[in-house]
Amino acid sequence: MKLSKKVVLLGHFGVGKTSLFRRFIDNEFSQEYKVTLGVQIKKKIVQLPDGRELSMIIWDAEGHSNSEDTRKSYLLGSHAFIYVFDLAREETYININKDLEYLKENYTKVPAKVLGNKLDLVNEKEISAHLKTNNIPFDCLTSAKTNKNVQDFFSDLAEEITK
Amino acid sequence: MEEQDKLKILKELLLTEEKEFADSIAQKVEELTKIVHQKKELSHKVDPIIDDKLEEFVQEIPKTLGPTITEALKEEIKNSQDAVVEALFPIIGKMIKKYIAHEMKLLSENISKKTKQAFSFKNWFRRTKAKVQGVSEGDLAISDYAKPRLIQMFVVEKNSGILLADYSPLSDGTIDKEMVAGMLTAIKSFVEDAFQGGDQNLELIEYELYTIHIQNFYSYYVAAVISGAYNMMFKEVLEDQIIDFAKNYISSKDLEDSTLFTKKLKKHFADEIV
Repeated sequence: MKLSKKVVLLGHFGVGKTSLFRRFIDNEFSQEYKVTLGVQIKKKIVQLPDGRELSMIIWDAEGHSNSEDTRKSYLLGSHAFIYVFDLAREETYININKDLEYLKENYTKVPAKVLGNKLDLVNEKEISAHLKTNNIPFDCLTSAKTNKNVQDFFSDLAEEITK
Repeated sequence: MEEQDKLKILKELLLTEEKEFADSIAQKVEELTKIVHQKKELSHKVDPIIDDKLEEFVQEIPKTLGPTITEALKEEIKNSQDAVVEALFPIIGKMIKKYIAHEMKLLSENISKKTKQAFSFKNWFRRTKAKVQGVSEGDLAISDYAKPRLIQMFVVEKNSGILLADYSPLSDGTIDKEMVAGMLTAIKSFVEDAFQGGDQNLELIEYELYTIHIQNFYSYYVAAVISGAYNMMFKEVLEDQIIDFAKNYISSKDLEDSTLFTKKLKKHFADEIV
């Protein structure tokens, strides 16, 4: 039986949602910043460890300063959210707990993964310590530019949502 | 002293000033004549040279100024592509429209000619029908080809945009159906959200020669891509067939098994007239 899951990328403007999306799907990266209007959708077939194949349909939604402003119809029917923030810009994660709370309350069954992106711009040890000190939750730190942890993150997510 | 000499002396005495004036005028006239003559001569000598040079210059323009002008134009077009396209669009659109109208006329005439030459029951029937309806055989044949046809059908989960089943009476094509299903859902959601029409649903999308008929159910929707002239009669037949399919063949189990759903969809619509 065919497996398909919808995953939505969320977060502020310019945190690298589209870059992660492009890195994961097409293994491409561009320094040029083009703001996403509305949503773009792409698919990647992910090979699961048990031999099954998953069609991961990724919705790269336009950036918003808080999750409440994201068009609700884009979030409906999701199997996972990926909340992306910019490790080099504190304003993109300072209110993260409020945003995650909103998602948890309104989409109870949908897991939300938190991803700190642009690891290439910061010192990993220092930023990890800083996030922990400030009670900023995160599941993974990535760099779409260098491809660090990107493929692993999505593979783990694919496994988790098909359990 | 004779009489004549006296008169001469008298003339000289009385008309000296006038004579000097007349002489000076004569001299000036002579000078002017010389200048005019010289200019004519000059012009006669210089004009062919200037003409040659001008001609040479005109001939050299493509070589000398050409690349600079072309480069400048290219740069200008490159910098304002949108403006160029914007300006050309209506002109090209009009040209294409005229061209298509002309080609359709030729096609219609050609079909009429060929159907007159060839005999078959189909042609005979069309000829009779054309006579009854008072239209040309060519126009009738073209309208046969413009009949609405089902190209592709998608059954999509309403919220997630995940493709549950699909069917195409033609080939499977190269489009990524799952992505199309996602994008259709995004467009649908956007329109339904943006215009805040309560529980209203987007039911039709038209693009160029195709129409996407959308029929909404509780947890899924059916999108049928139609080519040709989508009309009310076709819409009603299609709606009835989709409702019939949903009512009689689809259970909640099918929504969880896309392979089974696709099989049922194919079977149902392969037998139907659309």
